[in-house]
Amino acid sequence: MTALLEARGLSRTYGEGEAAVAALHDVDLTIERGEFVAVMGPSGCGKSTLLNLLAGLDRPSAGEVWLDGARVDRLSETALARLRRRRLGFVFQFFNLLPTMTAAENVELPLLLAGRRRRAARRTARRVLADLGIADKADAAPRELSGGQQQRVALARALANQPDLVLGDEPTGSLDSAAAGEVLGLLRAAHARGQTLLLATHDARVAAAADRVVTMRDGEVTRERTLAPSRPVTLPFDPDPA
Amino acid sequence: MTTTLVRLAFAGIRSRLLATTLTILLAGAAAATIVLVLEVRATGSDPWQRTFDAAHGAHVLANVPTREAAEALRGLDGVTESADPVPEATLDLRTGGGREPLRVAGLSGPPAVNHPIATAGSADPRDGVVLERSLARVLGLDVGDRLVLDGPGGRSTLVVVGTAIVPNQGRYPRSNPGFAWVGLGTLDRLQPDQGTWRWDEALRVDDPATAGAVADSVVRGAPPGTVSAETWREQRDLALQEAAPLQLVLSMYTGVLLVVVFVVVGILVGARVLEQNREIGLLKAVGLTPRQVTSVFVIESAGLGVVATGLGYVVGSATAPLVAGAMAETMVDGPVSAADPVHLLVAGGPVLMVLVASTWAAARRRTRMSVLNALSSGQPMPPRRSTLVGLVRLLPLGISLDVGVRAFLARRGRLLLLTAAISLTGAAGVFALSMQTALDDRPAGEPSDVPVELPALVYALDAVLLLIALTSLVAVALLSVRERLRELGVLKAVGLTPRQVAASLVSPFGVLAGVAGVVSVPLGLVLYAAVYAVSGGEGRPAVAPWSWLLLVPVVTVALVVIATSVPARVATRSPAAAALRME
Repeated sequence: MTALLEARGLSRTYGEGEAAVAALHDVDLTIERGEFVAVMGPSGCGKSTLLNLLAGLDRPSAGEVWLDGARVDRLSETALARLRRRRLGFVFQFFNLLPTMTAAENVELPLLLAGRRRRAARRTARRVLADLGIADKADAAPRELSGGQQQRVALARALANQPDLVLGDEPTGSLDSAAAGEVLGLLRAAHARGQTLLLATHDARVAAAADRVVTMRDGEVTRERTLAPSRPVTLPFDPDPA
Repeated sequence: MTTTLVRLAFAGIRSRLLATTLTILLAGAAAATIVLVLEVRATGSDPWQRTFDAAHGAHVLANVPTREAAEALRGLDGVTESADPVPEATLDLRTGGGREPLRVAGLSGPPAVNHPIATAGSADPRDGVVLERSLARVLGLDVGDRLVLDGPGGRSTLVVVGTAIVPNQGRYPRSNPGFAWVGLGTLDRLQPDQGTWRWDEALRVDDPATAGAVADSVVRGAPPGTVSAETWREQRDLALQEAAPLQLVLSMYTGVLLVVVFVVVGILVGARVLEQNREIGLLKAVGLTPRQVTSVFVIESAGLGVVATGLGYVVGSATAPLVAGAMAETMVDGPVSAADPVHLLVAGGPVLMVLVASTWAAARRRTRMSVLNALSSGQPMPPRRSTLVGLVRLLPLGISLDVGVRAFLARRGRLLLLTAAISLTGAAGVFALSMQTALDDRPAGEPSDVPVELPALVYALDAVLLLIALTSLVAVALLSVRERLRELGVLKAVGLTPRQVAASLVSPFGVLAGVAGVVSVPLGLVLYAAVYAVSGGEGRPAVAPWSWLLLVPVVTVALVVIATSVPARVATRSPAAAALRME
């Protein structure tokens, strides 16, 4: 069976000559469909760089990235954008909601980009927000939401198109303990539904919820550890009831 | 402390080279236009004075019905010098298209006061004719050519023996009828009825300031309409009247240009302070008071303003003689640069005021924030509730346009200022089109009282205005890219293609240009009608055809889209990961 995502000999160097810094060096990583993988390591170890390269947000200096059996690191920017909108979802540490749009409109955006009609996209966005427990905040601007609420909206945006893979860069990193717990619960629920997750994190609770933990140091993968299957959870929403 | 503040103000100027250069160029353009207007006025009067001196001009030029009346004026109080009375009559000049009235003076020798100054050939008509220079130019006659004069005494074909100027004669055809000199015998032959002659008496007085009083005493007691007297001031005003349309148009364009430039400078300076949000936080963190932080920014802006004013003064002073040349046809030599240092101060005032005031307002607002808030992003947020945003939500806009328009609406002040700047630039274009239409509508062969230099001046100013507007648009678009870098990263991450990202930046500018283009049409027509009325135009002015006017919004949108496409392409090239600062 083909892996969902595969990195082969992935490297990324910033700068040139004596100022060159190898942020990532010869990393091999395979993510199977339905897997929940946590990437851990100290700050500056290359976690974010790895996620950027796997998501096509940055170009590797060397190595290959394969998604569902197709090499993607050589795709054009346009092809990568189309790939991201249909097959990948992102959750960032600082939420990165578009400040000029309401919560619902932020969730609608990937749906519209994927070709949904405006009315259908609006309906789906509101349902996903309701499933994540923030239906009453659908018309709120991001600045009117708490950190936890903003991250729920970001999660809804990432999940709205039912992507093959959701990548998260410290998704609980800027939340208080209670909000982090809530967001983690939602991530676990998505995973239980079959969603593949790849999260870079410092949070031990996030790592504990994963199927596998990849540890990095100085731009290299130093350890991989498979954990016991996660406790089954009930999915709080059905992203595509039709 | 002052030294420290000054050093802080200019410490990072190299890292802001583009913004700094643009600010200097734009503020310099504003200073240059102010200097230009002031210098044109000053350089215009300079050649007239030289002409007056060379002609040994009359402080009072009287026009009376008899020789005896003219000679009696020599005894007036204050008169120190006079010439023999010069007779003149109005004759008909035969041209290819018909007849033109012509004022002809009969000379028996060069007058001691107010004598014609030869610009080609001789100023002594002898048996031929000397034409006033601007008349000769309009008629296309040179020394050696022949012309035909008709008078009650018959017809006479005369050889043009020279062209000349005098300080009291305005430029033909604005000053109509034209003027010429013939020998006294020729005048007598063409108009033998000396009772119809008029007599010019050129008087010089001991104190030129009293010329008005002397002129009054010339007219006093004479039956109304029989005697006239012109002072040297009135002669100068008449001569300089040629420059009136140029100065009016120049003033209008100066106003438009100043608004456009000041709007853009305000945007750039405000954005620069916003961009330096983190620097504000750092300065406060190391102990500077809000007032001192504001001073740092104000000092930098004032410094740029001083450089810009100096640059503008040099450019304005150098350009003024070229523009003022239009009025020199009836005068000796061309205008020379006045380069009055007072103009430097007059131009520097508004430029510095705009720079300092916009910086002070922007910096003061930012320095009131807490250090922590200042250290975080200072990006403006959209209003909580907005009718415009609500309207945008209802419109079936494409994703790129939707995202772009919302980002634009978050900075409404800038939006309004930019619309005003583009509208005014478009209005200047409508003005030029209407002026060209009016010139084209003129019957073929009919001499125009519009200075020949006016169209060229208008097109040159239009080009300058357009260049400034487009440069400003590129600057504001680059600013938008920088301000929205993180947002653009998010959009890329969510799945917008590079083309969609570029469209999200360009399309709102296009919409704005469309609105501004539509507004510019009535605005330009109003400006044109106002200038037409003020410059003494009669009836309804001819305006550009509607087909041309409809093109204005289209061309505006096209130019704005082209100008903003370059910064938009820059935005698509920046890696999403860097924009998101995921590292």
